[in-house]
Amino acid sequence: MSKQLIIDTATKYIYLSLVVDNKEVESVYQQGDNNHSVTIIPLLDELLQKANLSLQELDEVIVGIGPGSYTGVRIGVTVAKMIGYLNQIRVRTISSLALIASASDQRYVIPYVDARRGNAFVTCLKQENNMLSFVTEESLENLEQYLKQFDFEYELIEEGKPNVKKILASNLLEDVGDIHELKPNYLRITEAERNKNGN
Amino acid sequence: MYVLGVETSCDETSVSVTKDGKEVLSNVVLSQIDIHKEYGGVVPEIASREHIKGITYVFDQAMKDAKIEYKDLDLIAVTQGPGLIGSLLIGVNAAKVISLNYHIPIIGVHHITGHIYASNIEHDFEFPLIALVVSGGHTELILMKEHFSFEKLGETQDDAVGEAYDKVARVLGLPYPGGPVVDRLAKQGVEEYQFPRPMIDSDDFNFSFSGLKSHVINLNHNMQQRNEEVHVENFCRSFQEAVTDVLVAKTIKAKDHYQVKQIVVAGGVAANSGLRQKMKERITDIPVYFPSMKYCTDNAAMISVAGYYKYQKEQKYDDFMLNGSGRLDINEGE
Ligand SMILES: [Zn+2]
Repeated sequence: MSKQLIIDTATKYIYLSLVVDNKEVESVYQQGDNNHSVTIIPLLDELLQKANLSLQELDEVIVGIGPGSYTGVRIGVTVAKMIGYLNQIRVRTISSLALIASASDQRYVIPYVDARRGNAFVTCLKQENNMLSFVTEESLENLEQYLKQFDFEYELIEEGKPNVKKILASNLLEDVGDIHELKPNYLRITEAERNKNGN
Repeated sequence: MYVLGVETSCDETSVSVTKDGKEVLSNVVLSQIDIHKEYGGVVPEIASREHIKGITYVFDQAMKDAKIEYKDLDLIAVTQGPGLIGSLLIGVNAAKVISLNYHIPIIGVHHITGHIYASNIEHDFEFPLIALVVSGGHTELILMKEHFSFEKLGETQDDAVGEAYDKVARVLGLPYPGGPVVDRLAKQGVEEYQFPRPMIDSDDFNFSFSGLKSHVINLNHNMQQRNEEVHVENFCRSFQEAVTDVLVAKTIKAKDHYQVKQIVVAGGVAANSGLRQKMKERITDIPVYFPSMKYCTDNAAMISVAGYYKYQKEQKYDDFMLNGSGRLDINEGE
């Protein structure tokens, strides 16, 4: 029996899912109020109790590593990193934008996470035979400008509960070799580093 | 009782294991100081990114050093605040995962209580005592009548003393962090300039350092305008004498008023050699304790020990709703 935990906290929503033998047995997808840090462990505890599982029984953790809210994504990645480290189990990462996209059934999906002032972390994915793949690289863009390049029909999507089956069947999961190396995908260096490099 | 301590409130990722609130089995500190140096101060977003990079490595090293397994721990103590919120959240969540993974109780600790309890590692507290807490973020006088009871007598009305050190250092063109550099140069200088001693005779136990800081900065500016040569060592010495005069005078005032048996100096500025010397010279009737250097700056051993005493006093744990908090009063959560 394989037991997987999926975590994503890079958006306004917190997503936790327990998957046993490729079937989602318990999950939570709920909007937070800048409080993923408070809720993640109580929610995870509740989920494990409902499924009658303990963290030590898990075989794998899959974690959304962004791009998205810097503080938000760090919560989920910290938790995933610690579970992987403590129990010495496999950890795989996935794009938080791909997780959002998996909620859609359209052929072309453009998931985004708001980054203020009209900007967004955004990308475009394609779905063929239920297989998700990237059409463009993830980037931080002015959303309005960015969308002008597409001349086909697409669904623009900011939220949606991830589709576990699609995610597990995709080629988008990446193995974290050394758990100590796991970190979020911020897409951008910090403002302080940009200013320093600019000088 | 084995207590795991976790500290990530600023730019040090630290994990420690202590036994019975006394014996330090391990105390691993991963410092980011070399990274922030290039920016002249701690950059919060960079600090958070560094914490998450190093966190599991630091846990692993601390457990290996202590030669203990997670399941054998009795309590987890984690800094819940005050500090940089993004940094605090990483330590708090990492600690909560261990708590959930092994069903070990967890307790949130105030960072300043950690600094105070750093003294208790090497010397036993005798009550009542006065704690002078001096760091980049704090300047406070605290009265303790018993374990884990804190009565704030006074605090800075503006800049923390460490903050004033850093700003003066920057104006003098000295590298970050300024405190240790100013301290080192002060030893080579004489008190050539008369700087003010703000609030030294005030009726309370409060402090103020922004006026002194401005005075120092203005004098430096005016001298440069007049093309006078600024003698940096003497400048540092004069500034340090002014600061330590105030800190020592207020501590003596609190000591006499509350008839305490002991004084402990806590926080990063407790490493200042000028302060150490003046305290020991001017206070000779009761012991004055300074933690050794490794326990002055931020470290998890002090959090672990404070957590032990907090639990002894309150006999209760926190639940999984425990969160980091950038601003936190020393008496909150009691
Ligand atoms: Zn500190």
